[in-house]
Amino acid sequence: MGIPSVPLVTKAFKDLAILNAAKRGMPHERIVFTPHPVWGKTPEELRVYVDGPDPVSGKSLMKEVVDGLTVPLSDDEKKTGIVSVSVGPPTYTDTAENLQDLYLNNGYTDFLPIVLPTEEKVNAMLKGTSHHPDEVIGKMAAGAYPPWSYTVRHVAASAVMAGCRPEYFPILLAVASTGIASLFSSTNSFAFSMIINGPIRDKLEFNYGIGALGPFAQANATIGRAWTIMSKNLGNGGIPGDTYLGSVGNNLNYNNVVIAENEEASPWDPFHVQRGFKKEENVVSLFRGLGVVPGQVARGSSVNTSPMFDAQLSDLFSTFTGFFGALVIADPLVAVRLKEQGYDTKEKLIDWLYKNTTQTVKDYKGRNYSYLFEYPQALQGVEPFATWYKLPDDAVIPHFPRASSFNVVVTGGQTNAYPQAANMSYGVSVSIDKWM
Amino acid sequence: MNRRKLLSLLGMSPVLLTGEPAHAGQTKHAASSGADSGPLKFTAVNPKGIPPSIQLIPMAPRLDSLDGKTVYLVDTGFHGSDLLLHQVELWFNRNMPSVTLVFRRKAGPYAQDDPPLWKEIKEKGNAVVMATGH
Repeated sequence: MGIPSVPLVTKAFKDLAILNAAKRGMPHERIVFTPHPVWGKTPEELRVYVDGPDPVSGKSLMKEVVDGLTVPLSDDEKKTGIVSVSVGPPTYTDTAENLQDLYLNNGYTDFLPIVLPTEEKVNAMLKGTSHHPDEVIGKMAAGAYPPWSYTVRHVAASAVMAGCRPEYFPILLAVASTGIASLFSSTNSFAFSMIINGPIRDKLEFNYGIGALGPFAQANATIGRAWTIMSKNLGNGGIPGDTYLGSVGNNLNYNNVVIAENEEASPWDPFHVQRGFKKEENVVSLFRGLGVVPGQVARGSSVNTSPMFDAQLSDLFSTFTGFFGALVIADPLVAVRLKEQGYDTKEKLIDWLYKNTTQTVKDYKGRNYSYLFEYPQALQGVEPFATWYKLPDDAVIPHFPRASSFNVVVTGGQTNAYPQAANMSYGVSVSIDKWM
Repeated sequence: MNRRKLLSLLGMSPVLLTGEPAHAGQTKHAASSGADSGPLKFTAVNPKGIPPSIQLIPMAPRLDSLDGKTVYLVDTGFHGSDLLLHQVELWFNRNMPSVTLVFRRKAGPYAQDDPPLWKEIKEKGNAVVMATGH
């Protein structure tokens, strides 16, 4: 902009602010820090912040602001040029024990033991695709940072580390090609999910029966784990304080929520067919959000002769943020019952859920994400938020901004008729076959 | 952690601190190969992707003083940013009354760019203080 500026940042984000400025070309940006948090403080408390010291430098906060705008630049602050960043050598040679330590200490892992990505194992993994090992297949960003790029070989190394078999490799390449990381820099501790559709579910022995979301099959377990290891290595995500800021964190990040759809027991079209793919195609679909809740907590979930799963799901969704979508994870018993209730397509169920999951405007305005993400859009005239913010507090509005906020997938072993539900929104579906 | 130590974690600190183009070598953990005896050694692939190079951006020249100048106070939209900036505004009113202050909330969610505001500031302002909350 060419105008002197000073960002005010709370102390909790010191490392993030300095590193972000450096990665964007200003390693000496004059950043002034306030105590943390600002959120929820009264004007009187914030005056104490402003009149007090910068908690990082220990100097007067406002003197730092004024000096930041007026003290002449140093030589370092005037520098130009292009610099490169090293990530170390292409290979490491050592004992297995030392390599395990090195990969752990360098932050390459999820802090669980890994399969060492030896050249032999990586070469074996590379046989799982027809693509050239040096092909650059995508870019991945750790939050707001400039994205990193990566090759087929980089993906193969992470795949080996996670314990994947070579025949799983096309799925990981498909995921990597999207550039979507399963670790996101937000303070909100996001969770991620992938849905697998097509004949590859049986070929790779995915579990979509009893315990479909649990640790009961190598494909489900290692492919989900690989996504997180890939996110750390391909896009440099998952560094606490730098590229990861989730305050509490999310246990689902260990191997994400891998859902192989039980297409055979489902009364509806598979998810990938809904997205325009042919049934015989192999497809992976990615979701992002906050987590998964069990249907057992829904009102009306007690066992009776006529369970109303539509109402149960609507109740579950009433606690969700509409910013993310609602993903129904239905056991086949639930899906079949819903069809018997008249929902002969997923779309009919979605239409009902959209119309019957509601909230008052007062409740809507009180939600964190409404203020942070949707109120600014309302000010710009984006619908439905612009209209919602003009309505009286007691007006009743949909809980989610649009019917497309909802998605439905069927999986599970039919031992009990409970659904689960994820506060997650759909991202993208990509072909696995093109990576074979 | 101080800035120098923090930047060293990027693998680029020598460059950024000295301005001399350079390529960092192997990490301190990298081991030599070729031993004919002793424990069995393996060669493993570095899984890290390719970071983008960094274009250093010279900072904008500073002002001689803020007397009589216009300072924009830009709220990113995080909770409490507006209240914090209001206290900054009151501080200027009490301590540097010759400074003209203009408060603006950046358009859109916090991560969204706002080129019209940057244009306005460039045309009408002399300096910016931007605040985030949390």
